[in-house]
Amino acid sequence: MRRLKPWLGLFARLVLGGVLVTAGYLKAFNLSQAKMAVRAYEMFPIPVANIFGLALPWLEIGAGLLLLIGISVRYAAAFAGALMFFFILAISQAWARGLSIDCGCFGGGGQIDPSQTRYLSEIVRDAGLVLISFYLFRYPTSRFALEKLPENMINVEKREG
Amino acid sequence: MATQSGRDKITRNIVIGMVIFVVAIGVIFSFIGNKSSVDAVIPSNVSKSDGYGIVLNGDLEGKPVIDLWEDFQCPSCARFEAINGAYIQQLVTEKKAKVIFHLLSFIGPESILAANAAACSSDEGKYLQFHSYLYANQPTENSGKWTSVGLLEAGAAVGLTSSKFKSCVNAVTYNGWVTNVANDGASKNINSTPTVLVNGKEIDRNTQYTDLTAFKSAVEG
Repeated sequence: MRRLKPWLGLFARLVLGGVLVTAGYLKAFNLSQAKMAVRAYEMFPIPVANIFGLALPWLEIGAGLLLLIGISVRYAAAFAGALMFFFILAISQAWARGLSIDCGCFGGGGQIDPSQTRYLSEIVRDAGLVLISFYLFRYPTSRFALEKLPENMINVEKREG
Repeated sequence: MATQSGRDKITRNIVIGMVIFVVAIGVIFSFIGNKSSVDAVIPSNVSKSDGYGIVLNGDLEGKPVIDLWEDFQCPSCARFEAINGAYIQQLVTEKKAKVIFHLLSFIGPESILAANAAACSSDEGKYLQFHSYLYANQPTENSGKWTSVGLLEAGAAVGLTSSKFKSCVNAVTYNGWVTNVANDGASKNINSTPTVLVNGKEIDRNTQYTDLTAFKSAVEG
């Protein structure tokens, strides 16, 4: 297990980081759509939602890059996990209130036909990503990370081995 | 076990700095690039008070006002146009309604180019013809058809061959105006295309968009 863990960590970093960078990239260059996607959740006042739509793609890209490169993995994983948890809340409230929207996670977004909503699979996917974030937060050391030993894990490693 | 060397720490800080830089630049450019501009060149028949939309029959009083929010690449908009387009044209030519076209660009770069070209056609007084031609010949999203070449061909098909139209399409003269329209839609919470309002009130998208009789009664009250 000790030999396997760094590889698992690498896998987790690539999945979580890859998803974040892809999701951010697909939104960052069609911002009027990104803004619409956030508005459609009807969670914030319209101007706030619009600002959120502009900033979110870049925050995703930033956290994703840190994970892929393997720097500050714990912080990036904590941020990613919180973000995914927030997405789950957002999708759940849309579902519960009977809105029919696309999650807009990878571009797209806005109102769609009620028959085309995919709330459950979107929530399951994000829940999976939350679990990966938890794992990386607990075991941030991994193969091929630029930062060999996450700073705040030095003591833990010393104690464990 | 690897140890945390001083050099490792420096690399770490440099990379963190670079990532923060990328994020900051991205956010700043997104904000600047998406700001409405009061200096944007504005096509003819556009009124700021009508949200930068292209207005037909703007001086008409006491008649229904129809606001259409649409995107030239949106399939549902093409369907709406196929069902109700001829009726809307008739309302315009017979001066029975004021119609405001808000050209959104959610679907990507070719939506921006198409909206710009439509604004160019408005300058030449051929907006409605060009508008229905684009919908009747709608390609798959961002397939490369609604770039300058395709849009000039579309213009030629409805008799837009002037050098003014060509340079307007090629130079994307109204790029800034397209952004202004998009921001107006964003501030009015338009989250779907098409969105159709009659006298400022959204009509029922489930029943009145795809049925000509229902649409007519929504307009004529």
